[in-house]
Amino acid sequence: MALGSDVRDILDLETPDKDPVTKESLMNDSKKKKVKKPEANARKPEGMHRELWGLLWTDNKRDGPPLVPSDNKQGYKQMKAKIGSSKVRPWKWMPFTNPARKDGAIFYHYRRIADEGKDYPFSRFNKTVDVPTYSDLEYQQHLHDDSWTRIETDTLFDMCKRFDLRFIVIHDRWDKEKYKERSVEDLKERYYNICNILKKVRAPVGTEPKIKVFDAEHERRRKAQLTKLFERTPEQVEEEENLIAELKKIELRKKEREKKTQDLQKLITAADSNIDSRRTDKRIAKKKFPPIKTKEGMMIKSNPESCGIKFPDFKQSGVSLRSQRMKLPASIGQKKMKAIEQVLGELGIEFNPIPTDDVVQNFNELRQDIVLLYELKIALANCEYEQETLRHRLDTLNGIKVGNLTVFGSFQSFH
Amino acid sequence: MADVRQESTVGGGRIKGLTVVKPIVYGNLARYFGKKREEDGHTHQWTVYVKPYKNEDMSIYVKRVSFKLHESYPNPNRIVTKPPYEVTETGWGEFEIIVKIFFNDPNGNERPVTFYHLLKLFQSETDIMLGKKSLVAELYDELVFQDPTPAMQQMLTSVRPISIGAYKHETDFEDKKEKTNNNIINAKKKIRHEIAELNDRLKMAKQHISKLKKDIASVEKVDDKSAISLIPT
Repeated sequence: MALGSDVRDILDLETPDKDPVTKESLMNDSKKKKVKKPEANARKPEGMHRELWGLLWTDNKRDGPPLVPSDNKQGYKQMKAKIGSSKVRPWKWMPFTNPARKDGAIFYHYRRIADEGKDYPFSRFNKTVDVPTYSDLEYQQHLHDDSWTRIETDTLFDMCKRFDLRFIVIHDRWDKEKYKERSVEDLKERYYNICNILKKVRAPVGTEPKIKVFDAEHERRRKAQLTKLFERTPEQVEEEENLIAELKKIELRKKEREKKTQDLQKLITAADSNIDSRRTDKRIAKKKFPPIKTKEGMMIKSNPESCGIKFPDFKQSGVSLRSQRMKLPASIGQKKMKAIEQVLGELGIEFNPIPTDDVVQNFNELRQDIVLLYELKIALANCEYEQETLRHRLDTLNGIKVGNLTVFGSFQSFH
Repeated sequence: MADVRQESTVGGGRIKGLTVVKPIVYGNLARYFGKKREEDGHTHQWTVYVKPYKNEDMSIYVKRVSFKLHESYPNPNRIVTKPPYEVTETGWGEFEIIVKIFFNDPNGNERPVTFYHLLKLFQSETDIMLGKKSLVAELYDELVFQDPTPAMQQMLTSVRPISIGAYKHETDFEDKKEKTNNNIINAKKKIRHEIAELNDRLKMAKQHISKLKKDIASVEKVDDKSAISLIPT
């Protein structure tokens, strides 16, 4: 087929049946296949179950699923372009004008014959900026600015039109000898101010015109900032990095201390309850109540939130050894374990005393108290440290306030 | 003889709320031969044992006691079913013996109790070193029966004495109990005193800190105002 058309093409014979190539026809001639599809009879074969037939054939989708896998369709395969199966579309060397150009210059290029006479398609990309114009009266009434002369303003608008608001270019071409030296922001500010004033003045009464926002002050600061950032020396960059790292450290420490303060409150509550229980102890002892059992009862009641050690609860049924109840839970941690051992050593108490009911009870409470004491000590040390830093800070603040005020100003700005 | 306390209710095959305590003593005796034995290099004869603290027959509620010796002994898992619950051996080294007490529970509801005893042979006391006196390393402990089954409770309360005469231990545990408890109670008082003291200091410190913070805040506030007026506009 392809061969025949090629031969005909070479011999320049007419091929009446061919359309010019389209993308679709290049990629896949699916149309022909669709036509081929037979209008199958939508009737249920004799003896087939209704449910099975329903799977194969539905009313709205007259396309039953294939019973056998088939690969006669393209599926997800990469489609092959069928090139050379029909006549090529010819190109022609022809003149054209660009409507975006005002001068009507004529250029030449190749183009499909089919497109002959159509507009140059790229001219639509030539966007022009609508730069407003103003009359003498408008200028005198609304646009007067002490730092700008009329001529200067006119020049600015002229250049805006010429360079399509490319302010960098305008700034570059700005006649610095004739006029004042202006920054890009100055030029922009003047231009947008005039635009906005004109819009306001010309807007019909009662309507709110759309205003272009240009914050010249902000732009100047932004650029100054960027310049500063750009002009830092390597030493300054390094210093800044160090300072940031320091700041992070300080904040981290602060957070830690805050957490500790919270823990501290808990600790104090625990210690308070501990003291209370001690007082009740004493009172009971003085009154000579039945000694040990009641005491324990009181202690158990007042010590539930004691934050020291959580000994496993031996409430479950079964046989166990009393000494098991003195075992420190593994969760207590090495440091506390060491602290307990040290205090017990100082007090001259065995690490594994004889396990009677009372001893176990008292021994566990003792160790709870030791842990509490240990935590209190740490908390106190932290508090003292914090006190010291705060006092130091206060002193510094006071000292600086009394001292040079300008120094203080710069000190503040660092924060 | 058993310590029984709290009223009890029967539930789930167990007497809830009942606690029976049976104190025991376990440990070992050891005696030095005076020299190293020629044939196997053993130096000591030792006896590891578990016995009731009070004068009572444990076999009523104890089914058997197993002593797991060091692997190097023939048949290291020694099981004793009758009192006295003890194993006598000779050896030359100290090791940890795993002791397991199994109970006479018809339904097998009471799980055995396991503990470890470090066999002690050597001590610096001269008499013991010379083999004139036995070394005693024994510990007091208590078997705590929490919510026993009715059958178990029956056995626990119907114990008979094992010996007619006085029943004594090598160690005076009563004295030790008393002393230890007093020691601990005293220590507790001391620690609580320290806690109270530290707590007061801590509270003071806290107050001080909050006061300092307030001061700093007020100073900073004033400074902020003056600083604002200082910033050039």
